[in-house]
Amino acid sequence: MIALLFILLIPFAAAGLALIHQGLGRSRSSAHTLLATLCAIAIAAVVFLAVGCSWAGHAGGAAHVLHGFDWLGAEPFMGQGLYAKPGSARETLVLCFQLFAVGLAAMIPISTGSDRWRMTAIGAWSVVAAGLIYPLLSHWIWGGGWLATRLPELGLPGFVDAGGAGAIQVLGGLGALSVGWVLGPRRGKYTQGMATAIPGHNIVLVHFGCLLALVGWFGLEGAASLLFYNIAPERLVWVAINCLLGASSALLFAVVATRLRYRKTDSSISANGWVAGLVAVSAGGAWFSPGQAIFVGLMAGGLVTFLVEIFELWLMVDDPGGAISVHGAAGLWGLVAFGLLAPPAGSHLLAQLVGVATLLGLGLPLVHGLNMLIDRFVPYRVDMDGDWQGMDIRELGSGAYPEFVIHTDEFVPR
Amino acid sequence: MRVVGCLLMLSGCSIALASLALLHAQGQRYAFVMAALTVEALGLWLLAQSYRGVQLAAKDKR
Repeated sequence: MIALLFILLIPFAAAGLALIHQGLGRSRSSAHTLLATLCAIAIAAVVFLAVGCSWAGHAGGAAHVLHGFDWLGAEPFMGQGLYAKPGSARETLVLCFQLFAVGLAAMIPISTGSDRWRMTAIGAWSVVAAGLIYPLLSHWIWGGGWLATRLPELGLPGFVDAGGAGAIQVLGGLGALSVGWVLGPRRGKYTQGMATAIPGHNIVLVHFGCLLALVGWFGLEGAASLLFYNIAPERLVWVAINCLLGASSALLFAVVATRLRYRKTDSSISANGWVAGLVAVSAGGAWFSPGQAIFVGLMAGGLVTFLVEIFELWLMVDDPGGAISVHGAAGLWGLVAFGLLAPPAGSHLLAQLVGVATLLGLGLPLVHGLNMLIDRFVPYRVDMDGDWQGMDIRELGSGAYPEFVIHTDEFVPR
Repeated sequence: MRVVGCLLMLSGCSIALASLALLHAQGQRYAFVMAALTVEALGLWLLAQSYRGVQLAAKDKR
């Protein structure tokens, strides 16, 4: 039951990410961001229980088979198979973990869609993510699907994602990229050929969110390692140590790199570095040595520091919370790093590269195609008034800080 | 360009999977999986460029 204790820490990851997302957005959309996060988690949990858990399946469970490829689970809907089955404690714990994990995957793109993504559209995305995309990836990686079980038949070790770097973080990051493309930038972000900096409104909450996320990641990684890879309980302490080391080294890299680059430390990029370290190490925290965790974290911090700028300035993707780099890029790096570093060194690399090729090559077209399809029926972007008023007033009818903040539209061209 | 980008990404994934099924030597598999990732990167770049073009066009209009 130690896994249950770890599972119960996962909401701290959601709370931390939610605070980071709303803090890095504008004050006039902060209540909307937090409520949208809650709605995404709620919708994801209900939809996953209704249909997703059937398709995610579990190792040894029933599966759809396509020419030898175990590609989708085929358990009874509404978790009935587990509810009625005695002695299924482990599978029930897996379901409990998945209910929290799917919410995390669904909420990550809210960071990118901050200030302009409509609540109804966020709900529609959550339905699709929890009902189709996450179960598919989860089954392949954790549910006894082909990435975990068929690769050994081809002479490779199974693809390993010990803490959700692939199934949760990369999915969230790819969703964020797709949402950023579909929504387009916030009004006033790109004017006169230049990207305008739109700073986050509450960096204090962002840093508090980082600390909460650390606790949540202990749970996320510990529970996943226990449930899907049967690590010995004494390895759990290494999960905690490596989480902290990865986050710390990524943060320090971001602090130093931004100080050298801009002469002042960039608070928001440093916070993003912290989370990127957590994401990258979560690919295999129980197997990394402390030195390897520091290396993985340093690289993740470097990736985020430079990719945030590349996405914003070169690719013109407006990502207020940096979710594409933090969750997508750092997650992919973590998976590759596991292949490079996990003992025996290099033995997992080919399997991890195949997993990365699958996540990217199948995941992004699927996620983006579905986002474009949803956008046809439930328009993603708020109307012009919403852009001017902020999402709090437009969709909720009142602001998050009605007595304390006086807005000026300094980022909107007059 | 978007469709081509998505198709390239799917093709990359197919190359990676096909290499596992058809090839047995580790070196050949590595080479094909790396080629697959390169194809996917090209597809991603095309997708990114197509959306960048949309932003540039919108900026010019403003």
